[in-house]
Amino acid sequence: MIKNYFKIAWRSILKNTGIFSLNIAGLAIGIASCLLITLFVVDELSYDRFNENADEIVRVVFKAKVNGEEMKEAVVMAPVAEALKSEFPEVVDATRLTNHYNPEFSFKNTSYRDSRFAYVDPNFFEIFTLPVVKGNINDPLKEPNSIVITEQEAKKYFGDEDPIGKILILEDENQQFKVTAVIEEVPKNSHFHFDIFASTEGYLPAQNSSWMNSEFYTYLLLKEGTSSENIEAKLPSIVEKYMGPQMKGEMGMTFSEFKKNNEIGLFLQPLTDIHLKSDFIASTQLEQGGDIKYIYIFSAVALFMLLIACINFTNLATAAASKRAKEVGIRKVLGSSKNQLIYQFLAESFIATTLAMLIAIVLFSLALPVFNDLAEKELPLNYLLQPNILLMLVCLIIIIGFLAGGYPAFFLSSFKPIAALKNKFSSSGESKNIRSGLVVFQFVISAGLILATLIVNQQMEYIQNKNLGYEKDQMLVLRETYLLGNKQNAFKNKIIRDPRVEHVTQSAFVPAGPSDNSMSGVFLQQEFKRRMFVYNVDEQYLPTMGMDLVAGRNFSKEYGSDSTNVIINERAAEILDFKEDPLGKSFIRDTHDGGQKLTVIGVVKDFHFKSLHQNIDPLIMLNNPYGGIIVRAKTANMSDLIKDLNATWISFNVNEPFSYSILDDSYNQTYRTEQKMGSILSIFAFLTIFVACLGLFGLVTYTAEQRFKEIGIRKVLGSSIPQIVALLSKDFLKLVLISFLIAFPICFYLMNKWLQEFAYRIEVGWQVFVMAALITFVIAFLTIAYKSIKAATANPVDSLRTE
Amino acid sequence: MLELNHIYKWVKAGGRRIFLLNDLSLKVESGEFISIMGPSGSGKSTLLNVIGMLDDFNEGEYYFLEEPVHTIKEKQRANLYKENIGFVFQAYHLIDELTVYENIETPLLYKNVKSSERKALVADILDRFNIVGKKDLFPAQLSGGQQQLVGIARALITKPKLILADEPTGNLNSKQGEEIMELFKELNEEGVTIIQATHSENNAEYGSRIIHLLDGSMVREKSETI
Repeated sequence: MIKNYFKIAWRSILKNTGIFSLNIAGLAIGIASCLLITLFVVDELSYDRFNENADEIVRVVFKAKVNGEEMKEAVVMAPVAEALKSEFPEVVDATRLTNHYNPEFSFKNTSYRDSRFAYVDPNFFEIFTLPVVKGNINDPLKEPNSIVITEQEAKKYFGDEDPIGKILILEDENQQFKVTAVIEEVPKNSHFHFDIFASTEGYLPAQNSSWMNSEFYTYLLLKEGTSSENIEAKLPSIVEKYMGPQMKGEMGMTFSEFKKNNEIGLFLQPLTDIHLKSDFIASTQLEQGGDIKYIYIFSAVALFMLLIACINFTNLATAAASKRAKEVGIRKVLGSSKNQLIYQFLAESFIATTLAMLIAIVLFSLALPVFNDLAEKELPLNYLLQPNILLMLVCLIIIIGFLAGGYPAFFLSSFKPIAALKNKFSSSGESKNIRSGLVVFQFVISAGLILATLIVNQQMEYIQNKNLGYEKDQMLVLRETYLLGNKQNAFKNKIIRDPRVEHVTQSAFVPAGPSDNSMSGVFLQQEFKRRMFVYNVDEQYLPTMGMDLVAGRNFSKEYGSDSTNVIINERAAEILDFKEDPLGKSFIRDTHDGGQKLTVIGVVKDFHFKSLHQNIDPLIMLNNPYGGIIVRAKTANMSDLIKDLNATWISFNVNEPFSYSILDDSYNQTYRTEQKMGSILSIFAFLTIFVACLGLFGLVTYTAEQRFKEIGIRKVLGSSIPQIVALLSKDFLKLVLISFLIAFPICFYLMNKWLQEFAYRIEVGWQVFVMAALITFVIAFLTIAYKSIKAATANPVDSLRTE
Repeated sequence: MLELNHIYKWVKAGGRRIFLLNDLSLKVESGEFISIMGPSGSGKSTLLNVIGMLDDFNEGEYYFLEEPVHTIKEKQRANLYKENIGFVFQAYHLIDELTVYENIETPLLYKNVKSSERKALVADILDRFNIVGKKDLFPAQLSGGQQQLVGIARALITKPKLILADEPTGNLNSKQGEEIMELFKELNEEGVTIIQATHSENNAEYGSRIIHLLDGSMVREKSETI
């Protein structure tokens, strides 16, 4: 019997190849998209899970609100780890890490500047599961100046030689490190990736007892079953106990005075939340993580894709019912029970689903490299072969088989035999309503996604074209030129003479991309006002960056060194209450050796030195140039200029490779997550509307077939082709219009929420809605028109003769 | 074999009842060959469908092999019908996707007959109807007469006690029609009860009894004197 079901299913599939291909194509695209996104989501959710104690590890983070400035940092003070370990019996162990970026390391005559370097506490590898493959397995970082390096790193420096016991030299500090162990590569799905881990044994900042200075990522290993909330609840008293006594000296006020108007505290963040749920100041993040919101959005898109594909399947199958009605009638007359018919139709559905699944897997394999590119992932193809993923696929076949085949199966099998035989069955009102409802649902999703894509793109365009308060085009950032040492000035002068160069400035501070970062407390008449960003620049900075002064003057050699003068931005002027006439006013900047009195000589127009997600913070500029140089070119043809700069660089005989970044690129990097989301979203928006239109096409085909005779009669009676097209399209287009009414308010609400994340954002105007509606409508109309015009132009005699 | 007592069947149109069957009573003995005649719309097909339990009726009693069809449950009715009744249609109603062999086999599948037994039964009937050579063809590849032959073979495969034939020769030429009627006669002589609806006087003459219907009622009955 089962064999028979499959035989019949296969034959009826062969008989309806056209519609069947539509069905399968839609379903395959749906499943493939769903698979891709699932993989992406699974990967995002897997971050840091490779650690055996993943659920017991928490990171201590710092949050504060001081004079209206919100601070969220992923780093805390050096003594926190030890203090929490001694205060809480639930804390089994604590370990710290401090990021030292990419310093130059050398072995014999080879040196590299791309090794990611961190100091970690000796117990680091007991808490994190990073297995040692060679060397001291138990306690590799016990001794001062010992380092653990990754396998790849060992190969890079030592080739095939045994790395254990070899000495690497940290060039900048001329310090020797001995390799004591080699570990595997840090897994891709880790929130940190370092190549060289040095011991904090003998590293002075690690012994610092100050509670006023944060630079250590601090992780606690909790006893199994410990609730971190309980510990978190006790943290305020710990902070008071340890930080309180130190505050008076640093801030000039007692802890309780400070607490009156400010908030400060330590919090615990589960290890597994770090990747997706971190909103700390970017400079205190080890790596830019993902965003749980996008996980939700993508999961929803995956589900929608699948739903749309299933709906297609169901819709086409029920629409095809009229064709199968006679068969159902005969079978019932021949003694088939309702159940047997249900089995038969389910069998068809399962064959189709399995076939679609196989095609989907092929599509998936083809699309994966493209998707990886887009999502900046390295998801491997063999990911699919995991037993639980395979199980999921089988479950998916069963679920989709039932979901997509269930309704037609029950619907078809309930036909009255006589009515079915006489083909009296016409799509009843009820089934037509259900089908209409499903079409509306599909277009709600398609139209919604199109609108969302348009809004995302508009915001991205806004970011692109926003007046940032500085020029980002034709700007070249050479952050490494400080390596030239005292030859830097000569280098700079050579660049200035190049006719293609408009301005050159020396500064380590760049408003987008990698930049030095500095903040100082600002006091006004002994009263702490606010921490402000400090830019150390030269007198060429403002003209080079294209920043405007709203009052006063720029730094200038004519006025001497300008070393006690300061330029502030508008926001700082506002906070310092210098609104009326800031020039000549002065304030105290907190420095290591007491305070420094600064006099305002100019006010620079607010510029966006942080991402557009955030409001502009107060900033002061000092005439104290150091670091690399920034070049503003006259020409748009940067590559020639870069080539020549490279040649100049080489002529200066530095052992370092020439490196540069283009400010425009760095700026765009800042919004990579959003851009990534935008492009992924547009692809899936396109796919959903494509699949929805496949379904629509199928439905129109059936309607045209069903009304074949009616169309013939109407034509004989003198109806024109446009009238027939209108007749066939009207009902479907109505559904598409209804879907707008549902999709747009929901989408508008959600997209507004997304836009709230940007401090600077577009207003969603009516034009986007019109645009989204037009796109959807035109695509739907073209789909319908193609088929209905064909039906309308057919010779009426053909249709009437068939009866 | 079966007994219809005062059967009424109507449909409502514009608030008025239109009677398809109007106070119809009929008793059929086992082994009879009955022809139902009447103009289009007189209720021939409706009557056959009611007898075949494919259609409901609104009022009256129907006993089939002593079972009260009007009261028993859907499932029992389906069983009763599956075991005892075979249908032959004017438009043959073969399943287009299945071969001759598979079409004939289908009722056996629904009766859960074992595979080996199915093979034997189908082979027998193919043999008897002389269509062994056509067993792998699809309906579209057969002539009308051949299709109807397959239809009858399919109706007979479950060895029903009653065959209901709704204008079985309606789509056939006279020669094919005659062959089919000869076949029915043969079957009737083997003991199968047959009820056929027909327009053709000639075909009706094959029956042992002719019933004339008009507007859902029996108008006259003519029995052949044996």
